Amino acid sequence: MTQNLSIPLSLLQPGDQGEVVQVQAQGPIRQRLLEMGFIRGARLRVEKLAPLGDPMELVIKGYHLSLRREESVCILVQRVA
Amino acid sequence: MPMVIALAGNPNCGKTTIFNALTGARHHVGNWPGVTVERRTGTFEHEGLQLEVVDLPGTYSLSTRSEDERVAAQALASGEVDLVLNVLDASNLERNLYLSTQLKELGKPMAFVLNMVDDAERRGIRMDLKAMETLLGGPVVATVGNREEGVEELKTLLASLARGETERCRSIAVDYGHDIEGELRKLEGEIQRDEALAAAMPPRWLALQLLEGSPAAQATLATSHARAAIGQQLSKSQAFLEQHLKEDVATLVAERRYGFAHGLVKEVATPAAEGKTPTARLDAILTHRYLGIPIFILILGLIYSVSFILGKIPQDWIAEGFKSLAAVAGDHLPPGELTSLLVDGVIPGVSAVIVFVPVIMILMGCIAFLEDTGYMARAAFIMDRLMHVMGLHGKSFIPLIMGSGCNVPAIQAARTIESRQDRLITILVTPLVSCSARLQVYIVIAGTFFTPIKAAMAIVAMHFLGLGLAVLMGRLLRSALFSGPSSPFVMELPPYRLPVLKSTVVHMWEKGSVFLTRAGTTIFAGATLVWFLSRYPGIANAEWTEQYLQQRQAVVALQLPQAETDSRLRDLELARESRIVNSSLAARIGQKVSPLLQPILDPDHRRPEAWKDVIALTAGFVAKEIVVSTMAVIHQASDEPKPGERLSPLQVSLRDRSGLTPLTALAFMIFTLIYTPCLGTVAMIRREAGSWGWAGFSIAYGLVLGWGLAWMAVVVGRWMGYA
Repeated sequence: MTQNLSIPLSLLQPGDQGEVVQVQAQGPIRQRLLEMGFIRGARLRVEKLAPLGDPMELVIKGYHLSLRREESVCILVQRVA
Repeated sequence: MPMVIALAGNPNCGKTTIFNALTGARHHVGNWPGVTVERRTGTFEHEGLQLEVVDLPGTYSLSTRSEDERVAAQALASGEVDLVLNVLDASNLERNLYLSTQLKELGKPMAFVLNMVDDAERRGIRMDLKAMETLLGGPVVATVGNREEGVEELKTLLASLARGETERCRSIAVDYGHDIEGELRKLEGEIQRDEALAAAMPPRWLALQLLEGSPAAQATLATSHARAAIGQQLSKSQAFLEQHLKEDVATLVAERRYGFAHGLVKEVATPAAEGKTPTARLDAILTHRYLGIPIFILILGLIYSVSFILGKIPQDWIAEGFKSLAAVAGDHLPPGELTSLLVDGVIPGVSAVIVFVPVIMILMGCIAFLEDTGYMARAAFIMDRLMHVMGLHGKSFIPLIMGSGCNVPAIQAARTIESRQDRLITILVTPLVSCSARLQVYIVIAGTFFTPIKAAMAIVAMHFLGLGLAVLMGRLLRSALFSGPSSPFVMELPPYRLPVLKSTVVHMWEKGSVFLTRAGTTIFAGATLVWFLSRYPGIANAEWTEQYLQQRQAVVALQLPQAETDSRLRDLELARESRIVNSSLAARIGQKVSPLLQPILDPDHRRPEAWKDVIALTAGFVAKEIVVSTMAVIHQASDEPKPGERLSPLQVSLRDRSGLTPLTALAFMIFTLIYTPCLGTVAMIRREAGSWGWAGFSIAYGLVLGWGLAWMAVVVGRWMGYA
């Protein structure tokens, strides 16, 4: 089942929804991501990519946030239909 | 002693609007001790009580990872603050409440402002304030900050709290689960053995921070006499928790806090209605894949025009006004030291400060507008990819582009960059962007030594060189000064909002006045120093003054036509100034220093007067455009072309007598571009970077880099066969 596979957030396409499984970043970046709402089970939706392809805009906890690829590869998510 | 209220909240929650609504004009902007984070304090009176308000930096948490968070956490933990007023964005409650859970841990009485309730209501969110008060353990007031709705009610609440009616404030703590709570209690017990430590910071808060692995908490611990015992307990607790829990403490703590926030929101608020928000509709265009960049460039062009084309009009008035003031003073006062101090020192010095004010106010107004509407975050979102390649942040783009108008407000514009590293690098590379003052020098030099087409090409090349160097130095500084990963780009894209005119105007006024008081003194002192160096000892030579007066009288006695007399008098004045400047301390320094510049300005040792360039460059430190007027004095030739001639007398003199060649002229232009930021920029760097060290560094690296590149230009040029 591909549904239950954990993939990096950076692989989600605009319009895709996901659920946070784990934040793999370490140190201050990890702390910041946790504070911004990337906790287990948090729902998110990828809104769009910036015109130059990076960073990405997503909606989490009801607000809009942008992340660089550097950060989004460290966040494991599960795709949600 | 008035009660001190600290305003805490997330960025973009409308905290500053609440602050302005509470205190009105009665506030003061300064810096927090030791850092460049702005500190706003103000007072207001209500029901005969005087209350003091401190606006803390907007933060998402108190984990003390950034400068802003450290400042906020320190202020909150200190005894200075009596009450915490937590401003919450009603339409983004859950994330806003994360900070609230941390604020509650600090154990101070708290009240809450549910701000921008109109936004939330428009999205169909209904909220139960009574239930919220019960769950949060503190009174809640709903407000619409930008319309000042609910502000009177808030003032009344704060006054009642100041009178000691705090029974509505109860302590409420997030439950971190059996294991963590148990270890927290053990740690608290150890902390309480050191009474001073326990008094300085709530023990539970300190224990929690230690478990989360906060470096700031470790630093606090290091000052305690009980550090050994506490440290031992901490290691034991960490080992225990690592075994019993599958996740690390930081994750579990964050999960519990969000759990609390999520539960609370479910309890007190109805969910938002489905459907596209106005922000989403706007973003569909403004950050569109193809339209986003053109729109951004359009907005940037508009701001640039308003700041530097519209702003140039009052700037010219000010410059002209001071020039005629100096001319009038020079004509009516007897020549001598005091007159020179006034005419050549004080008046140009004051002028050099005040000319910046219109552009600063306009540009800062535009930037405040972008920030307040929420577009600034989109600009950063659009440009980040490009800027990231340069080792910079998306928000660095606007300061860099604005630098081509004037570096001084551009450096101030770097304030919008949150991370200190990114801000510092942007501040340090912005002076490399060629500004409009340097353009005036290029026009004179390139116009003298090159054909019009080549001159234009050389001038354009200077601008590209500046930008290219900014990129290169950005990368270099990033890897040399701040090894380690660049700060994370986790940036909120806040909803678009219509800014309040009042707060934009207040912001503009603050920036202008802060510049006048903080940077103004530095610029003024520097201008006076350069005046001193370039006028002494000649200006004090009574014999010269006597001769000059006699010559003037002789000219007047000839009774020539008025125009002829004026022209001869001007020549005499220029000759006198030239004599003074060319024998001044600056000239002596120039003679000492010129061997250093020989490889770039006189590679063939054919220019006995190369030292004169040093005087012009020294004077150019005050403001780059002064290089030209100083050259006019040194070479005793006016920089105004006579009617019908392409070259001014100064340019003719430079071409025929200075010994500069097209190649060394190019080197001179390159050196002028880089050698040092002007005084205004240096003063601004010192203010924005927070230390003289960085200001000094910017001068030093400019000199080295400028010399190196000019030298390379000469070497490569000669190798290619140019003279």
